[in-house]
Amino acid sequence: MTKVSCRDPNLVMRLARLGSIHQSRLSFMRILTRRMAREGWRFEQTAFEIDASGVGHAVYTAHGPDRSYSLIAFAHDLPADKRSDRVIAEAWDATFTLFDGIPTSQDISRLSQNIPLQEAGRVSGTELSVSRANRSVRLWEHVVSSLASGKQPSADQIDAVGYLMRTTAVYGSGKLGAADREMIADRPEFHAPFQVEMLSVYLTRWFVTDLVQYMANTRAAEAGNAAAQLDANLARSMGIGNSTGLGMAPFLLNHPVLFNNWVAAREQAIQAVRQVERATDEDIALFKQLLERSKQTIATWHSEHPIQIEKLSALRADVVLVTSYLAQANLGATHPWDALYRWAEDTLSLEGQEWIASLILEPYGALVDDMSSGMAADNTATFRIAGAMSIGDLRALLADVYTWAIETNWTAPENKARAWYVSEEKLEPRLGERFEEPIEEYEQPLAPGRDAAALFNALAHWPDEAQVSDFLLRHPEHRHVLRRAQIVGRAPYAEIRDNTISDRVLPIDMLRCKLAFFGATKFDPRSDRWVRICMYGNAPLPLELTQDNADFWVYPDQEEAKA
Amino acid sequence: MSHSLNEIEAMSKRAGRGAGLSWGLAEEAAKGTRWLSAFGFPGTELLADLLELNDRIPPIDVSPVSLSAEVWHAPARRMSPLIAGASLSDCAVRLLERGTITMENVSLPLLAVPFMGGAALRLGVPVAVEWDGARLATDGKQLCVQASPEALEARQAQRLVFSAPADMSGRREPVLRADVSEESWDRLAAFAHRTFAPATEESRLRGAGAGLSDND
Repeated sequence: MTKVSCRDPNLVMRLARLGSIHQSRLSFMRILTRRMAREGWRFEQTAFEIDASGVGHAVYTAHGPDRSYSLIAFAHDLPADKRSDRVIAEAWDATFTLFDGIPTSQDISRLSQNIPLQEAGRVSGTELSVSRANRSVRLWEHVVSSLASGKQPSADQIDAVGYLMRTTAVYGSGKLGAADREMIADRPEFHAPFQVEMLSVYLTRWFVTDLVQYMANTRAAEAGNAAAQLDANLARSMGIGNSTGLGMAPFLLNHPVLFNNWVAAREQAIQAVRQVERATDEDIALFKQLLERSKQTIATWHSEHPIQIEKLSALRADVVLVTSYLAQANLGATHPWDALYRWAEDTLSLEGQEWIASLILEPYGALVDDMSSGMAADNTATFRIAGAMSIGDLRALLADVYTWAIETNWTAPENKARAWYVSEEKLEPRLGERFEEPIEEYEQPLAPGRDAAALFNALAHWPDEAQVSDFLLRHPEHRHVLRRAQIVGRAPYAEIRDNTISDRVLPIDMLRCKLAFFGATKFDPRSDRWVRICMYGNAPLPLELTQDNADFWVYPDQEEAKA
Repeated sequence: MSHSLNEIEAMSKRAGRGAGLSWGLAEEAAKGTRWLSAFGFPGTELLADLLELNDRIPPIDVSPVSLSAEVWHAPARRMSPLIAGASLSDCAVRLLERGTITMENVSLPLLAVPFMGGAALRLGVPVAVEWDGARLATDGKQLCVQASPEALEARQAQRLVFSAPADMSGRREPVLRADVSEESWDRLAAFAHRTFAPATEESRLRGAGAGLSDND
């Protein structure tokens, strides 16, 4: 039997590759929709108290086997000049919270005083998330006016945008006073990461679909007409957009164990599938079918950003190469997926390699889906420093994990041109120019490579047999990165093995990586540090969700794509 | 006001950094404050007291001189419970070998207690600490407290004796929510504020990478 190893962290954990990752079976949205379908979750709208100007609230409840969760949505009438996707915004088209259970009218009254304020409000342990969304002005008006005049909106216009509203922040895990993850982590439905946030967005999409219909009905009624009912296929084709900036980038660095567990789960899944000796005809047929559907996503993926335009052009060339490879390859031979992956690694761009790496997992749910159970993290055990470790062992560990960093010339300005800092405004993380702005004294510890190299140098004159605890007593300034190094020693995918402060760093690589694990598609960078994406596009709406459509919705239906 | 433990941890980390602690020690301060808060102690008040006491002084002055000494003591004759506590956690294996580690003149001794939790988890046996009027023991998950309120609020402990393995009796479970006094929160926020770069229009545009219209 061929023994395939997990891919080397030195290969996987480079920014350019992390910034090319594609969604997979293990993406958090798909973990959630599979679970809800499998367990037969029931969904209902229990309130929709919104006036003709679009102001009011609505409640959508999801009933799982043991517990219920309610999205409470507040709709606002936002003047155009207040609409900003930036974190520093202070008003939104709609604001939301995911409530633990079924809210009373007192809960709704309390939350109506706080949720619309977002960061300026306070929530409690019964709230699991806080989020907000803005309309896509173009598409919203097109859909309302079309329906109000009795017509369906244009599928082309819907495809060009992809969503009616985009969220600009979804806060969970204790933010603004909400429940800590620890309060809910033992519930099976929230065991996998970000399930609260994914559920919140899934219900948000339902609310937005209802709201656009309601606004069209209202407008039609004012003119004495009846609005058209939004076609179910068009409704399903729309997701929820998300506009994400730098705030998300430090997350991967600040949660090394969690990040390791995400990447390790996907890498173990890739390894397991590459080890499959023989693919059945059904597996091969499913792979080929999803590959064709996936091509539709790639074909309709738009970006105006030069970096992504170049990556898309390479990916589209990869699609042609993959098509001709599969025309001659025999997937019925032994180890077909390993052969395909090896060929991809030798032949395709990073986008193409990661596309194939995710896609080969699709026929093997029985083999890989349980790996999602290892994606969560409890940091308690890894936080403590092993002070009895010898300096010799620490030196060897650093030389192994941070080879690239130790070999980097950190006195060269271009290698540390940037600095991460937190601005006074809403505590927004930012990336500045170290040599041009007065920010260095505010620098956040988000350059592990530089810091590990400094630690390595500081150890130079310490004897091998000395202990880490004694070194740290003298050098508390190295405590942060020493902890990281010990974590990476146990969790090899915990560290981004690349320079996060060079003049060439692209923060969108970190954003893309995290959002791909969420399950996002059609990444559209708006700059090197800000990206728009679409979530749940083509997913069944809650009332349509079944075990037949809970898994592969992310790949557009071919019939639909042709229509 | 009721706060989440994550909020307490995030605020404490920033405040520790703002008071001049290294990032690694600020992380220890944050985990420790969170831990105390989860057991119903006024963690944020204690941390604010300590940060004000040792504001921007060189850490070496309030650190143990040597970890091999019979009794750990600091050059300033006043030892930081965070730095000594972090060292105790680093020396978990030594603690078990020696049986006890004794420290002298530790400020706000309750702030050193969470680090026993780390040591206990590493060792897999409970760890206890005693000072005048107080005995606390933990296995890392639960806490036993036998102490007068005055002892828990002590400004300084002359002798702090850690021991392992220890007996657990009268266990207390952590809660997942904490009441935090506004006053202590504001004091920590003042330290945290030192870590934030003043916003400028340039950083708004360049630093965050926006600037394109997002009203579309």
